[in-house]
Amino acid sequence: MSNDFAQFQDAFFEEAAEHLAVVEEGLLELERHPEDLDLLNKVFRSAHSIKGTAGMFGFNAVAQFTHKMETLLDLLRNGQKAVTPSIADLLLKSTDCLKTLIESVKTGAAVDEETVQRLTMDLASASAADSQPSGTSEKKKDGAPVPGRGITRTYSICWTPPDWLFQRGLDPLQIMKELRCLGNLTKVSLDVSRLPHLADIDPEQCYFSWELQLITEKDRQVIDSVFEFVREDSELSIELIETTSEPPTASISAIPTVESDGPKPIGQILVESGVVSTGVLDQALAQQKRVGEILVEQKAVTPQQLEQALQKQRQQESTAQAKKTDTASIRVDTAKIDKLINLVGELVITQSMLSDLGTRFEMNQLHVLLERVAQLERNTREIQERVMSIRMLPIGTAFSRFPRLVRDLSAKTGKKIQLVLSGEETELDKTVIESIGDPLTHLIRNSADHGLEPPEERLDNNKPELGTIRLNAFHEGGSICITVEDDGRGLNRTKILSKAVKQRLISENEKLTDEQIWSLIFKPGFSTADKITDVSGRGVGMDVVKRNLEALGGTVSIKTAPGKGTTFTLKLPLTLAIIEGMTVRIGRETYIVPLLSILESIQPTREAVKTVVGKGELINVRGTFLSMVRLYDVFNLQPEHTDPAKSILLILETEGERVAVMVDEILGQQQVVIKSMEQNFRKVEGIAGATILGDGTVGFILDVRGLLEIARREIAMAA
Amino acid sequence: MGKTALIVDDSPTMRQMVSFTLTNAGFTVVEAEHGKDAVNKVAAGPKMDIVVTDLNMPEMDGITLIKELRKMAGFKFTPILMLTTESAVEKKQAGKEAGATGWIVKPFNPEILLKTIAKVLPT
Repeated sequence: MSNDFAQFQDAFFEEAAEHLAVVEEGLLELERHPEDLDLLNKVFRSAHSIKGTAGMFGFNAVAQFTHKMETLLDLLRNGQKAVTPSIADLLLKSTDCLKTLIESVKTGAAVDEETVQRLTMDLASASAADSQPSGTSEKKKDGAPVPGRGITRTYSICWTPPDWLFQRGLDPLQIMKELRCLGNLTKVSLDVSRLPHLADIDPEQCYFSWELQLITEKDRQVIDSVFEFVREDSELSIELIETTSEPPTASISAIPTVESDGPKPIGQILVESGVVSTGVLDQALAQQKRVGEILVEQKAVTPQQLEQALQKQRQQESTAQAKKTDTASIRVDTAKIDKLINLVGELVITQSMLSDLGTRFEMNQLHVLLERVAQLERNTREIQERVMSIRMLPIGTAFSRFPRLVRDLSAKTGKKIQLVLSGEETELDKTVIESIGDPLTHLIRNSADHGLEPPEERLDNNKPELGTIRLNAFHEGGSICITVEDDGRGLNRTKILSKAVKQRLISENEKLTDEQIWSLIFKPGFSTADKITDVSGRGVGMDVVKRNLEALGGTVSIKTAPGKGTTFTLKLPLTLAIIEGMTVRIGRETYIVPLLSILESIQPTREAVKTVVGKGELINVRGTFLSMVRLYDVFNLQPEHTDPAKSILLILETEGERVAVMVDEILGQQQVVIKSMEQNFRKVEGIAGATILGDGTVGFILDVRGLLEIARREIAMAA
Repeated sequence: MGKTALIVDDSPTMRQMVSFTLTNAGFTVVEAEHGKDAVNKVAAGPKMDIVVTDLNMPEMDGITLIKELRKMAGFKFTPILMLTTESAVEKKQAGKEAGATGWIVKPFNPEILLKTIAKVLPT
C-alpha cells in the first residue's frame, strides 16, 4: 500500500503476536466455557484488529484468511452458531495457520498453501450460509473511463441536506469548498423557503437547500464522492447539462491527481493505444530473454560463470532478508520512559552541582563533595535499575503458549491434565524470556508424560483423576525462580539407578546422594520411559534443558516425593548484561568469578593437597577429591603465594562438575557489567568477558566451564 | 495548522500510523486506547478539532463513544470520523445515527486519511 506506513510493520508484527496469543488463549478458555460472550468478543476483536492492520500493509493473504476466521467468530458471538469442540479445534488450527502466514510475510518463509486452502474452505463451510465477499478489498474505482483532459462538463446540482446535518458535525460550507476545488462553481443559489419564523428556528437544524452549477473536468463519480457522507440522507440530484471540449476557463485550483508510479511500460502503452492486443503482447513478452541467457548465447560468459553470479545474487538477497528480520523491537510503557527522563534530569542537576563545586573547591567543603558524590551514586543506581527495567517483560508472554501445549498433550497421552499458572506478572529480561520457552516446554512435556499417571492409576492411588501441572514464577534475591510442579508419581529412585548403571553412567556400587541421583536424568541420552512415545522418551530433552539454562547462567534443581509429585526449580539471573561477581586477586591482577558458580571458599591444610598420577593435583574437601587449578599457571601470572595452604581455594561448580581454583585473595562482591571479548577482541579460553573495575582498570571474568576444560587438558598432557 | 485530533483505536499499530500521518500534517494528536479512555481524556479538558475512532474496541466501542461525545457540550458539532473495516451498511447507519460525521474504510493510505479529514474539518 503506502510506503509511508512501511516503517510501522515491526509494530504490526509485535501487535499481531499479542493478538494471536489472545485468540489462542481465548479459544482454549472457550472450550471450557463455550457460552462466555465476553471471551468471544475479545477473541473477535483481536482477529478483527489483525485483519484491519494487515490490510493497511497490503498483507492481503493475512487479511483474507483472518476475515474468514472473523466471519465464523462473528456468527459465534451473535449466537447464530454454537462453540462446538470441532469449531474450536478448527479455529485453533486456523490460528496456527495464521501464525505461519504472518511469519511468512515477516521473513519471506514459504507457506503451506494446501493447508491455507483447506482451512479457508473449512472455515467457509463452518460459516455455512455466509456468502459475503471478502470485506477487506475496497471497491476499486479505476474501472471507469477517465475523462479526457480538456473536456469540461457543466453539472447542475440540487441538494437538500437532512435537517440534522449539523448534529453530525457536517458543515455545508465544507462541501461548497470541496466543489470549488473541482472546478468553477458558476452559480450558487440558496433556497431559504423552508426557513420557519424566527421564533420557531432551531439553530441546530438545517433548513436550507442549494442549487449549484459546476463546470469541471472531473466526472460524476468525483462529484458524488464530495457528498459521500450525506448522500444517502439527502435529496440530491446531479445532472450533466453540457459537455464542451474547450479547456476549462479561469483559475481553477484543481487538486493534483495522485497516481502514476513512474512511466508505464511500453507494452502497456501499446495495448492502451490499441496498437497491439494483450495476447500479442504476452506472446512477445514470453519470447523475451534474460540478460544472462543472451550473454551465454553470445558466448560472452560460460553457463558456470552465470550460475555463480546468480548464486551470488541469491545470497545477497537472502542476507538482505536476514538482516531485515534481525532487528527486534520492544514496546515500552511510556510511564517507564517518563520516569527515566525524570531521573536523567536529576542526574544533570547533580552533575551541574558537582561542576559548580569543582570550580571553587576548598578543603573544608569535603563533606559537601562527599554528599554530592553519594547523590550521584544514587542517581546512577536508579538510572541503571530503570534502564534495566525497560528490557524487562512479564514472564506471562512466555507462559501463554503452555495452555495450548497442555491441551494437546492431554489429548495425545489420554490423561486429564490441568495447567495452573501463577506469577505471570513477574518481570525478567526479554532475552531470557525468549530463551526460556524451550526448556520449559521440555519440562512440561516431561511432567505430562512421565510425571503424571494415567487416570486409572491415579484413581487406584486415591488421587483425583485430574492431574495438575503448576507453573509458577517469582523473584528471589537477584534472580528469578520458575517452578514446574506436577502431582504425579515422583521420580523412581531404583529405576533411575538401574538405568544409569545399564547405560554405564555410574558404576554399580557407587554411593550417591538423592540429589546426585536426580541429576542423572539431565545426562545426555538418559531416559527411563519404557517405550518411546510421541511426547517424550527419546532421552533428548532433559540434557538440553540443563544446557540451555546454563547458557543463560541459570541452574535447575529437582525436588521429588514418591507418589506425591516432582518439582523442577529453575533459577535464572534477571538479566544477561550484568552479573553478580566476586572479585579476586592473583598477584597484582584482579579477576571476577561469577557468584552463582561459587560454592564455597576454603584455605586447605597442606596435607589436603595430593598429586595423583593421571589426575593431576587434587584437593581433599571433606572426603571428596576435587582437581585443583592454579590460576597463575593458566594465565601465566606472578602470584603472591604458590603454596595452597597460604592461598585461598574457591570451589566452583558448573554443569554438576566441581573444581577448586587457587587465588591469592578474595577482594569482595560487586555487580559487573559484561563486555564481550568476542566483539571487542577475540575469544580467549577461560575468560567469559571483561569489565571495567572501579579504579578504571580492566578485569577479566572467569569462564568456569573453560577452566575445567583447561584443567582436564593439562592433566591429559601431563599423563 | 495547529489543530488537535483525538485518535481512538485499541490497536497500537493503527494508532501509531494515524498519529504519524496527522502529526506530519501539523496536528497535535491525543491518543486513546478505547472509548472509555477517550471520554476520560477529553473530560480533562483539551478541545478537539476532529475525532478519528475505531469501532471494535474493548471497554467502550466506537458507536457508544460517538453517542457519549455528542452529549458533551464541546463535541456537539465536532467532526467525528469512524475507522471501519466493514463497508457494511448497518455499521455506517449505526454510526450515522450515533452522530458520526463520516467514515474511512480500512485499509486506507495516508492521502485518503488526510483528504477525508480535510473534507469535514472546519476551517
